[in-house]
Amino acid sequence: MGRILIVDDTLFMRTLLKNILFAGGHDIVGEAGDGDEAIAKYQELKPDLVTMDIVMPKMNGIEALKGIRAHDPNAKVIMCTAVGQEQMVKLAIKTGAKGYIVKPFQAPKVLEEIKNVIGT
Amino acid sequence: MSDLDTYRALYVAESRENHETIVKNFLILERGLDKAAIDEIFRSAHSLKGMSASMGFSMMERVCHAMEDVFQQIRNGTLKITQALVDHLLVASDDIEQMLDDIEGGGEGTIEGVIEHVATLKGHVGGTPPDGLNEPRAEVTLSTPPREESTSNLALAGEMSGPVYTVKVRLSAACDNKNIRGMIVLQNIEEIGRIIRVIPSRETVEDDNGFEGTFEVTLASDAGEEAISGAASGTDVEEAAVSSCTVYPGAPSVQAEAAHEGRAAPDTRKERTEKTEKGREVKNIRVDITRLDQMMNLIEDLVINRGRITQIAKKYQIKELDETLSMVGRSVSDLQNLMMNIRMIPLSVIFNRFPRTVRDIALREGKEVEFNIVGGDTELDRSVMDGLNDPLLHLIRNAIDHGIERADDRERAGKPRCGNLCLSARRDRDNVIIEIADDGGGIRADRVIAKAIERGLVTPEAAASMEKEAVYDFLFQAGFSTADTITDLSGRGVGLDVVRTALQSLKGTIHVESTLGEGTRFELILPPTMAIVDVMMVRINSRRCAIPVANIVEVASLSDDRIHSVGSRETILMRDEVLLLDRLEDMFGSSVLSEILVVLQHQERKRSIAVDVIEGQQEVVIKPLGQIVGICRGISGVTIPGDGEVVPVLDVKSIVREN
Repeated sequence: MGRILIVDDTLFMRTLLKNILFAGGHDIVGEAGDGDEAIAKYQELKPDLVTMDIVMPKMNGIEALKGIRAHDPNAKVIMCTAVGQEQMVKLAIKTGAKGYIVKPFQAPKVLEEIKNVIGT
Repeated sequence: MSDLDTYRALYVAESRENHETIVKNFLILERGLDKAAIDEIFRSAHSLKGMSASMGFSMMERVCHAMEDVFQQIRNGTLKITQALVDHLLVASDDIEQMLDDIEGGGEGTIEGVIEHVATLKGHVGGTPPDGLNEPRAEVTLSTPPREESTSNLALAGEMSGPVYTVKVRLSAACDNKNIRGMIVLQNIEEIGRIIRVIPSRETVEDDNGFEGTFEVTLASDAGEEAISGAASGTDVEEAAVSSCTVYPGAPSVQAEAAHEGRAAPDTRKERTEKTEKGREVKNIRVDITRLDQMMNLIEDLVINRGRITQIAKKYQIKELDETLSMVGRSVSDLQNLMMNIRMIPLSVIFNRFPRTVRDIALREGKEVEFNIVGGDTELDRSVMDGLNDPLLHLIRNAIDHGIERADDRERAGKPRCGNLCLSARRDRDNVIIEIADDGGGIRADRVIAKAIERGLVTPEAAASMEKEAVYDFLFQAGFSTADTITDLSGRGVGLDVVRTALQSLKGTIHVESTLGEGTRFELILPPTMAIVDVMMVRINSRRCAIPVANIVEVASLSDDRIHSVGSRETILMRDEVLLLDRLEDMFGSSVLSEILVVLQHQERKRSIAVDVIEGQQEVVIKPLGQIVGICRGISGVTIPGDGEVVPVLDVKSIVREN
């Protein structure tokens, strides 16, 4: 099971995801509310995986993804996406994201994706 | 849903914040195009949509989705902001507010009319781009990797050689998005080998909406069959069959593939290192307000029982007990102060609702109003804050309806066309002062007097010598209005008296100042908190009562020779001042022992009362009278001191004002 950093600008989504991941046996090592914070927390906590929201204030998820990969080219980041964000997700994948999960989150799908990404 | 009920409170709290952000930025947009405001609305609508979908509140999700679409197009520059659009957006935002109320009350956020409103919003969007293509174009362009990077990536891939394999991949039918999943699989394969060919083409796999989820990749890799199979497997991959390939595809394919390569090698990208803030931990938590109220009640009980123990300790005179009690006393005081601070919330919580109100009223009244808020960070106890919304709303409505003139009239009077309304708050020693000032026409004192004479409130003779402040005081009389016509908003004569009553129940006061032609300023003075008060315990006719220390000017002995009769009333001459003496007989019965005089003051008015004995001073918790008792003249509430007796607290304000 992995050490995970959750990045989302809403406490609600972070809590929802945290509970899903926790129930799936993962450790939530940190949370961040925007891209800046995500990069700082990544360097500090060195998590196994990051779940990254796309639309966030200050710095969006794609920029944060770039920032994280600039520090750690092997960083495993999966994007949290909603319907209508396909182009952004593709951009994220091209930028180095390893996977994606779709809102509203379905626990089994989320856990499967995380298992697969951490396993690679 | 039941699982999600635990998230409901969090959902509502966070959604309200997002909703407030949306409304605030709508009003900014109305004044002109503002990119930051558009981005913020888009983000908030997007967050709200996501949260609502997670909670299963589909109606809310639809409204937010429509709003998000609108702002997507505004961001792209394909939709212009018009007055009609802003109006429709505000209707939608009202819907959101109502739905949140419903959800907070345990509902699903279903209210009337939403579907029509969503349809109206969608009407503005018109030719919505197909799903998936409506993401911000600017950002996509921004992130397209430069050409030379793909070349270096290709060069990197070129270094990898080895046996050639074909991988047949089949994605599951339940896959959310086959293009993206295909893209991930190709990327994973690429990390361990060099892709020589993809069938159908890579474009089809990654971008074609018609892509059905089956593709074949030819690659050269040293990693071995197992590793390739691992790389190609993953979420949504139903089958990833790897086989050795003996037929080496020709160079042109590589070239074709290379030409297609528009990908970045993420590892080689050197992004600017962002300034990072280390150690920024979550320092705030959310607490349900009812829990704070419960805690406050418990602390109040603790304060009461501390008083009780102190009294018991006095009786037994045990040194150790006294010492311990003094320690407990200190902790309780600290706890009490801390709790007071926790309960303080910034005034911006209610101030932020008003820009919208001002806009609506001004629009309806056909007036131009610039609204400013100052000092929204000033803090007040939540219990005081609760009762403040309505009085402030009344005053703001009055200012726009009666105060600020129409643009043409203002121009004629040599003023700027746009009126100014300022809502400000500041802390002044122990009080919080809120001001509502407009630069309108001011209060016509002559009309107020005329109306007062007409209603028989004052004689023309008395009116002639009245101070300005006394004249304005008529405005706070029930049913008093100088407006000639009754409008939708004000002029019905309900208003200022309601405002004053509401403020009195909050232990606050209101003053008005006005200059004809220049404007009016209402000043509200409020105690920052009202729960715990310093009182003097006295006995009148041997019954106990508490008087707030803040209202006591002085205490003196009462000898018969100091009492003078003026008409049928008893008065006292104190420091060249004649004060009415009130024995409060209607409240406590007549006492023969009254030997002490207590001078009370509220604002400028003073009055003296006679009491039997003063028992001491202490901090008490004032509990309001319950609904069963209702309003009781002269009593503002009750308190329970150490001995457990229920003691009334004098309402000095009403006693002083009585004739």
